[in-house]
Amino acid sequence: MSKLRLAFRLARRELRGGLQGFRVFLGCVILGVAAIAAVGTVRESIATGLAREGAALLGGDAEIELTYRFASDEERAWMRSTATAVSEVVDFRSMAVTPGGERGLTQVKAVDAAYPLIGRVRLAPDMPLHSALAGTDGQPGAVMHPALSERLDLEPGDSFRLGTQDFRLMATLRAEPDNATAGFGLGPRTIVATPALDGSGLLAPGTLFSSKYRLDLPAGADLATTKEQAEQTFETGGMRWRDARNGAPGVAEFVDRLGAFLVLVGLSGLAVGGVGISAALRAWLAGKTRIIATLRTLGADQRTIFLTYFIQVGVVALGGLAAGLALGVGLPVALAPLITARLPVPAVFAPYALPMAEAALYSLLAVLIFTFWPLSRTQEIRAATLFRDGSAPARALPRWPWLGVTGALLAALVAVAALFSGNLPLTLWTAGGIAGALILLAIAAQVVRVLARAMRPRTRRPPLGWALAAIGGPGSTAAPVVLSLGLGLSVLAAVGQIEGNLRSAIARDLPTRAPSYFFVDIQKAQMPAFRDRLENDPAVTRLQTAPMLRGIITRINGRPAAEVAGEHWVLSGDRGISYAGAVPERTTITAGDWWPADYTGAPQVSFAAGEAAEMGLELGDEITVNILGRDITATLTSLREVDFSTAGMGFIMVMNDAALAAAPHSFIATVYADPDAEAAILTDISGQMPNVTAIRVKDAIEQVSGLLRGLAAATAWGASATLLTGLLVLIGAAAADQAARTHEAAILKTLGATRGQILRALAIRAGLLGAAAGGVALLAGITGGWAVSRFVMETGFAVIWPSALAIVVGGAGLSLLAGLAFAWGPLRARPARVLRGRE
Amino acid sequence: MSDPVLSLSGVSLSLQGNAGPVSILHGITLDVHRGETLGLVGPSGSGKSSLLMVMGGLEQATGGHVSALGHDLTGMDEDALARLRRDHFGIVFQSFHLIPTMTALENVATPLELAGKPDARGRAAEELAAMGLAHRAGHYPSQLSGGEQQRVALARAAAPRPDIVLADEPTGNLDSTNGAAVIDLLFDLRDRHGATLVLVTHAPDLAARCDRVITLDDGRMSRAAA
Repeated sequence: MSKLRLAFRLARRELRGGLQGFRVFLGCVILGVAAIAAVGTVRESIATGLAREGAALLGGDAEIELTYRFASDEERAWMRSTATAVSEVVDFRSMAVTPGGERGLTQVKAVDAAYPLIGRVRLAPDMPLHSALAGTDGQPGAVMHPALSERLDLEPGDSFRLGTQDFRLMATLRAEPDNATAGFGLGPRTIVATPALDGSGLLAPGTLFSSKYRLDLPAGADLATTKEQAEQTFETGGMRWRDARNGAPGVAEFVDRLGAFLVLVGLSGLAVGGVGISAALRAWLAGKTRIIATLRTLGADQRTIFLTYFIQVGVVALGGLAAGLALGVGLPVALAPLITARLPVPAVFAPYALPMAEAALYSLLAVLIFTFWPLSRTQEIRAATLFRDGSAPARALPRWPWLGVTGALLAALVAVAALFSGNLPLTLWTAGGIAGALILLAIAAQVVRVLARAMRPRTRRPPLGWALAAIGGPGSTAAPVVLSLGLGLSVLAAVGQIEGNLRSAIARDLPTRAPSYFFVDIQKAQMPAFRDRLENDPAVTRLQTAPMLRGIITRINGRPAAEVAGEHWVLSGDRGISYAGAVPERTTITAGDWWPADYTGAPQVSFAAGEAAEMGLELGDEITVNILGRDITATLTSLREVDFSTAGMGFIMVMNDAALAAAPHSFIATVYADPDAEAAILTDISGQMPNVTAIRVKDAIEQVSGLLRGLAAATAWGASATLLTGLLVLIGAAAADQAARTHEAAILKTLGATRGQILRALAIRAGLLGAAAGGVALLAGITGGWAVSRFVMETGFAVIWPSALAIVVGGAGLSLLAGLAFAWGPLRARPARVLRGRE
Repeated sequence: MSDPVLSLSGVSLSLQGNAGPVSILHGITLDVHRGETLGLVGPSGSGKSSLLMVMGGLEQATGGHVSALGHDLTGMDEDALARLRRDHFGIVFQSFHLIPTMTALENVATPLELAGKPDARGRAAEELAAMGLAHRAGHYPSQLSGGEQQRVALARAAAPRPDIVLADEPTGNLDSTNGAAVIDLLFDLRDRHGATLVLVTHAPDLAARCDRVITLDDGRMSRAAA
């Protein structure tokens, strides 16, 4: 009979005894797989939803977006000849003003009669969009997102003003089919008909707007070919192309990245689960020592023994894997209606093969990594063990082939994680962080044991002494408890520190340095009046103005920009560009020279130093920027310090004035004023200059804060899965330890200990271990939080003590809870029965 | 004769087994006097160890009365029984039952610490030295041989100077050399401190050293020999 067949037969006989001893092992596998499968399923469901609804989200089969201008006649002709239908949408920010003087920032979408090409705009009260936009009583109509109409206290039938044009609010928006592409807007949506804006003064030359042309393409049209044709037609037009293959690229990318990040957080859960798996397996195998020794006596070789137990572990792990996949996929699918209602994007919930394969692969590798080590010890059990005390030989490390296999599996896990997340640095940082935290926690567990042993002789109180003996002595559960609880708490602590520091950076530091308002779309002719109003206001502490155009960097040194600088954010869309003669005030040149104040030669550009370094730009490079459809190539002659963290005015690019001054443009202004004066400034400026849009910086900050809160919440949920696994391991450790504690309690009762003293000892022991895990988590969390805040978020860092202390208290509390939950056995133990049971 | 330190009257013990209640002891009436050594003998399953446990309050009699040093054990709760053992009893088991997470010294010091005795560790060290185990004080039970573990258990039982020592087959897990050494130490304990000794044994030579021997058969006292 082959060794494998024999091992299968032996494994089957042992497994007939049931899954006793495998509960924690199973629980860890199930939770680890389920967390990763759930994140993957939600991510894939959204990706599928976005792909399926791509055309509707986009508002057509394809979209061509132009910044700052409308399509030329030639471009329109190409679109008409290519598409079966074309719809033009104009997108810009403006101020909605009520007759009572209430003002609200709004993201205006001006549409033509063809809008929407796909889907339907749903309104309350229910009516066709174009009936609503037609208006009534000679006033053009508008529809508005309820968030804005409620803020402005507008009801359908009321009038409001955009620029100099009055509109009648006809209905509120219930659903906008192409909303996902609207991106991160600062104001709620208002939809009007484009012709109604003719008299509003809002689309004057130089105004910041984008025009989007949605194309309904003939059935079977090849999107890639059409894109190529569009790129040729709009070659110098600064055009951005999107099509239904990826209708909401920004959202899809965001979901993809968040999903990848959460899976990496999920891996920390798997690591905690691995600790539990390893501990559970060691305990289970310890109970098998005599059986293994007996098998060795009967002639079983090392390989047969290993295979026998590997098969048993494999069968149970595969069962756990299947259950974990069912839970991780089933839960989001079952809760689909609830999740869909809360998601701002479409999702199609179903079991998807890819996330299941991802979760299964991660878990298989993790199970192998954490089981090989304990399983390798079965080979060291000799027949002679039967005649000694029945305990397995203690070897600190397995033999080198096992170390090699474990190392290879770890490398494979990291490689798989990097492949799935698509982000090698983040994966390496995460893997390094988890490994670092595990090593730190393992060291901490040893330190706790040494300290407990050292303090034991100094204790006078018996319960404290017993607790220290249990922590420091043989068979201590310090390692699994500190490791499992500590890793979960470390992730939570780091998330807490990062989120807290981000919040305080935004909520506390920024507003003290940030301006009150951004004013955009100020026409050149309006600048004297604008300055006059603000420069003479004693409540205004600082006024900064600059001309602003928008443009896209298309080429660097004659090569496509993306080829040179990759996917840097500066290249991801159009950027604000200013011009100046002399060096503007508060500007620090870090390299090169600013052009002379009266310079009229070939265009020169000054670039933000940090971004230039990230993009690999150097002085002398030729930067081609498409502004208003025209390519301008300028030589990079200086680098400047630009601090975007103050929310003040910061331009990536500033050109010499002769290069841009002739192009149509408007001005942007930042106003720093006393909070009490803000309302009067807004009323005066928007009253005198209806076309000027004011963006209240506090509102923008609040919106960013909300987004960050959402991200932090998602991460905290991911970390909670880790903590839950940690809790399971903790319970497992407590359960595995219960027999030893019951025996100890029986002896102590024999020696005269009361139940109260035994309970105190158990509580002290659990509390001390939990506090130790919490303390290490605090250190790891603060270190992790500092590293991420300092190097990734580039914010300042201060320890958020309430969150930090909550982690220590929470750790001690959780450990105490788990410890006390298993105190009942030792407390009710009848000494005679327990002790005689061990005779 | 002095007042009995242990007095059992009509004691019975029933335990709940899987197949229903099992009667272990039937109508045991017995007095043990101060300084006396009493051997309990009988075949396996005759109830010797159960009787010893009832005497130490480790098992509650289901019928009759048990008193130790004038305290009625029958109505005591578990904590009161624990305190009584702390102050008056030393117990030695066949399987030693040392606390595995504590060193030999800590095991011996534990009853002294429980009794609030000053210099518990110093006294424990002396007790270990008296058992010839001074060099093993810092070792954990798993690092000691069977004989050494039983001597630690004896030191632990002796350290608080108990009035009554109960020993349940103290040599059952030891070879003859170690067994003889342990018995010598046990009787020496009685001689030095005047403790009352009740021991369960299968060994005839050990039973022969006792002042009185009681034979149990199926939970009943069948014979008493002086």
